[in-house]
Amino acid sequence: MRKSLKTLAAATGLFVASMAAAQAGPYDEFAGTTLVVNFPAHPHYNAVMKVLPEFTKETGIEVEVDQLPYLKMRERQTLELGQEDGDYDLIAYVVFSKADYVYADQLENLARYFMNPKLSDPAYDSDDLIDGYVYNIGFAGGKKGYLEGKTGSLFGIPFGSETSILGYRKDIFDKHGLKVPETYDEMLETACKIPELEPGMGGLSSRAASGHHASHAFLLHLAPLGGRVFDDAWKPRINDEAGVAAANALKTIVDCGPEGAASFGFGEALGSFLNGDTAMFLDTTVVAGQIDDPSKSQVVGKVGWAMHPMGVRRGSQTGGFGIGIPKNALNKEAAFLLMQWLTSKKGDKLVAMAGGNPSRFSTHADAEVNAKFPHMATFGEALKHADPDWRPIIPVWGKINADIGTTLSKVLTEDLDVQEALDGVAERAEAIMDEAGYYTWQ
Amino acid sequence: MNRMTPYLFMAPAAVIIVITLLYPLGYMVYGSFRDWDPSQTIGETEWVGLRNYIVLYGDPAFRESLWVTLKFAFWVVTIEMILGVGLALLLDRNLRGMSVLRTLFILPMMIAPVVVGLMWRYMYHPTVGTINRWLKEFGFSGVDWLGQNALLSVIIADVWQWTPFIFILALAALQSLPSSAIEAARMDGATNWKAIWHIKLPLMMPVLIVTCLLRLIDAFKVLEVILVLTEGGPGLSTEILALRISRTATEFRELGTAAAMSGYLMLLLMTLTAAMFIYTKLVERRAQRLARIVAEAE
Repeated sequence: MRKSLKTLAAATGLFVASMAAAQAGPYDEFAGTTLVVNFPAHPHYNAVMKVLPEFTKETGIEVEVDQLPYLKMRERQTLELGQEDGDYDLIAYVVFSKADYVYADQLENLARYFMNPKLSDPAYDSDDLIDGYVYNIGFAGGKKGYLEGKTGSLFGIPFGSETSILGYRKDIFDKHGLKVPETYDEMLETACKIPELEPGMGGLSSRAASGHHASHAFLLHLAPLGGRVFDDAWKPRINDEAGVAAANALKTIVDCGPEGAASFGFGEALGSFLNGDTAMFLDTTVVAGQIDDPSKSQVVGKVGWAMHPMGVRRGSQTGGFGIGIPKNALNKEAAFLLMQWLTSKKGDKLVAMAGGNPSRFSTHADAEVNAKFPHMATFGEALKHADPDWRPIIPVWGKINADIGTTLSKVLTEDLDVQEALDGVAERAEAIMDEAGYYTWQ
Repeated sequence: MNRMTPYLFMAPAAVIIVITLLYPLGYMVYGSFRDWDPSQTIGETEWVGLRNYIVLYGDPAFRESLWVTLKFAFWVVTIEMILGVGLALLLDRNLRGMSVLRTLFILPMMIAPVVVGLMWRYMYHPTVGTINRWLKEFGFSGVDWLGQNALLSVIIADVWQWTPFIFILALAALQSLPSSAIEAARMDGATNWKAIWHIKLPLMMPVLIVTCLLRLIDAFKVLEVILVLTEGGPGLSTEILALRISRTATEFRELGTAAAMSGYLMLLLMTLTAAMFIYTKLVERRAQRLARIVAEAE
């Protein structure tokens, strides 16, 4: 009898324990874990820092953040990802690092995490993530090797992604009865009219400094004007009519821009707009927070937002950062839970309210977010035209990108002929592509 | 005493030198002969012999970068030597407040290079920068510092930061000169200028050559200030070799090529160092001769 009672008690105990286990929350197994993450020093990630305590409170998972300037972050990751056991459980990567990390097999394919019922949140709603961002930042192995497609896989989630938008000075436009530019022709005409109407003021401030800045500014115009760096057979077409038009557009913008515009990096271009030295700014959406911050901006309340003007097509940029799990991470499942939480509807909205860049359509349309940031609706509209293929994300891009940037810098400062400059870039790019094996099948 | 005893005493130092100095150097040289991507361990990489060196030799961007480096190093070292030695000669006297002035002079080299880069970047800013505002205040037009005059701008920033280094060493050299030599020259009716030209400078020369060599080596490796100021632009006009090496390794992910560039840089510096040492020996002999003559005159 006593033995039967003992057996019954043990069975009951086991049942209760198994019920408790069955009802355990998805985070319980990982409570007490400390994740080490690597984020850049960037306005979006500064907002994320404000939200992370909420994650720890909800899940019991601690997060230790190694926040570094972007270039330093990339250097550190180059070293970290090559080790057997990595120090980072989750990393933010800039979009063109995707090509390097995926090609070197250093990022986890996320399918096995989204397939795991214990980890994958059914309410995640991946369809709500902005298509252009996901294809640009998260996918690899599909179309052209770096986009979505039937052979593609997901390696990261956009987080801190950006598109391009036109900021303009409402007061200046109202004062002179100027129309907000909708097309490239209108934008260039207005950019050169402003210095005549407002002596001392530049038309549009753009990045133009040698290297990545000049290349970025050129590519920003190339896609809307109908161009691409390569055709479908990887032959450079950067020197075609659209390429020349994009380079000329950049030259016009710099010539009609603020003083010293040819040496402007992103900081100077934005600074010029924030100081009130320029009437328009065409670049990333990430600047909105600073423009509305009275401690940083002299144009608070004076800036209106419009879509990236149309050339032969609409094509705002896609860029910024994504987050992924390194292959050598020690806490991959907990890292996935953090990644999923941060990019969920709730996380995305919390980060947006703290001043970050949302990655979901629903966040852009959210009434509370729009009440706090009225520009969000325009940004959401621009994102419908976000072009994930506005620049190629291939392993040899760094070298081609640097060449485009330094050559265009010579166009802007040394009056090198545009066609001659782009022909040179195309020739050198073809040699780089050939060496990298892109013509093996031709 | 065993014949091996001296070597045993030397062994710890030799081991430290091999581990800390020669191993990384050998690693770099070994890497320069391989097709090396950061995702690979060096053992997994393909041996390509001299290919990286040969490709670089024909690479116009690398050659331009090398030329920019030579121009930059020549100008900064020349200007810094003239200013540093000139200031030392000027301030080598016991006047009131001179020690405070000397301390103030050495402040720039205590500032982190990134901060120096940022500081000058803002000072060079075309509209809000102090320099152009002053120029405009005095009726001149603003200068496109970081555009058309980028190389000059980085040279000015470097001269500002590193002239004090030359100044300190030159001053130390001046103060260690035998006062009898200068007094003897004065008694023989030598003017200040003659004393400097014929006595002080020749006696200081061994120190000045080493100082010049140290600055030259440093000028070939400067990175942060230029990275922050111009990022190598416009075009490649300020992309010195250290910046190109850093870009090749991190942006282009071509560690083998970057190692080969470092190999070229090392060869160049070794040649310069060897030339300077030979010259130092010649000058030292001349200085010793001069010292002997001075001693005999006494």
